[in-house]
Amino acid sequence: MGLADAVRGAFGLLFDGDPVLWRIVWISVSTSVLGLLIATPFAIAGGYAIAMTQFRGRRVVIWLVQAALSLPTVLIGLLLYMMLSRHGPMGGLQWLFSQPGIVAGQVVIALPVLLAFTLAAVQAADPRLAETAIAHGASTWRVMSTLLYEVRFGVMAAIISGFGRVISEVGCAMMVGGNIAGETRTITTAIALETSKGEFAQGIALGVVLVTIALAMNGAMMVLQGDAHAARGRG
Amino acid sequence: MLSIARLTKHYGDNLLFDLRDFKLDAARAYVLTGMNGAGKSTLLRVLAGLAPADAEGVHFAGEPVKLAPYPAALRRDIVYVHQHPVMFSTSVAGNIGYGLKARGMVRAEASKLVEEAMHWAGVQHLRGSQPATLSGGEKQRVALARAKVLHPRLLLLDEPTASLDGEAREQVLSLIPSLTQSGSTVVMACHDRDLINLPDVRRLKLRDGQLEEK
Repeated sequence: MGLADAVRGAFGLLFDGDPVLWRIVWISVSTSVLGLLIATPFAIAGGYAIAMTQFRGRRVVIWLVQAALSLPTVLIGLLLYMMLSRHGPMGGLQWLFSQPGIVAGQVVIALPVLLAFTLAAVQAADPRLAETAIAHGASTWRVMSTLLYEVRFGVMAAIISGFGRVISEVGCAMMVGGNIAGETRTITTAIALETSKGEFAQGIALGVVLVTIALAMNGAMMVLQGDAHAARGRG
Repeated sequence: MLSIARLTKHYGDNLLFDLRDFKLDAARAYVLTGMNGAGKSTLLRVLAGLAPADAEGVHFAGEPVKLAPYPAALRRDIVYVHQHPVMFSTSVAGNIGYGLKARGMVRAEASKLVEEAMHWAGVQHLRGSQPATLSGGEKQRVALARAKVLHPRLLLLDEPTASLDGEAREQVLSLIPSLTQSGSTVVMACHDRDLINLPDVRRLKLRDGQLEEK
């Protein structure tokens, strides 16, 4: 099949509502969103706590979080595979080659991204914000909610970046999910499989979906950055 | 109102101040002067519980208290305002009502107090404005209103007129005397001659780690 035919076939699949293709998109988006929803509260609370608390070993924790950003997802997949395999410590869950397994992988992949971005956003906040909240009688929780609201654009950027990372990863989803059609086949694992079979049309169609998601994510980031500049104003 | 038998602050091995029998009376205004780096701002931050220090024999409103951990009673009664106040990302009215909300005051009562505080500071026309649109003088007045609305027993102002000039400075200066009239003790770290020479103001000077009353 020539490139032109493959592209024509790809758009045909997209606009004809090919159920196999859209099932793959649904699995990718739903597992990514669920993974992100689970990771976000822990990561935001953790990032805030690390940024605001002085403790022994804090620099080591920050170093580890930042190092985790560059961990290959295939390595995370390997570790999870060993944990979730029949004889692994979490084998009883029977999550290997299932959507919960993929979601667990997305959580592990998203956590350091969300944590590092939230940590950076809170650290970059004007220290007078927290002091002003404290000096006006705010409780620990209110100081936290106030500060997170003040750095909301950074936190939203963290969530968008986290989503971009989990939806575009292939290594962990392949190893933990097993690329089972209709069950654990995601956009990226499907592209890898279809390309290896020489079936480019579905791969291109899924690539178009992935690029569209990436463009939407970056568009949202640009809007947020614009809002952040407007909120700062001349103050 | 506040008395501390001994208050010492070190930075590493260096002693910043060692104050004996530090006392503040109720409903009085104090100006705290001293060279840059003498420890004026640090002293205010220590009293506000924003910086650690070693304190002995602390009494607040007749009750013995400790400065560490900073007790809730002091947090409620002592308010600190930065030299360059920072505003939260909400309206002017929202900023002024921040502390009331933090104290769990019901909305109707808080709105009434916020309205009074805005009128006192002359910022009622800015009620719905966003902080990013405020000038330095307007921010300072909003910050004073945000502190005054809480009726603190002790109000700590760090250089309240610094970086203000002309009308903005005059407006802030005119608000200071009424703070003590409403029952608050006010301590202002400052270099501003007009603040130092306000009537009925006690003058404290931090020099070589000691406090002198002038």
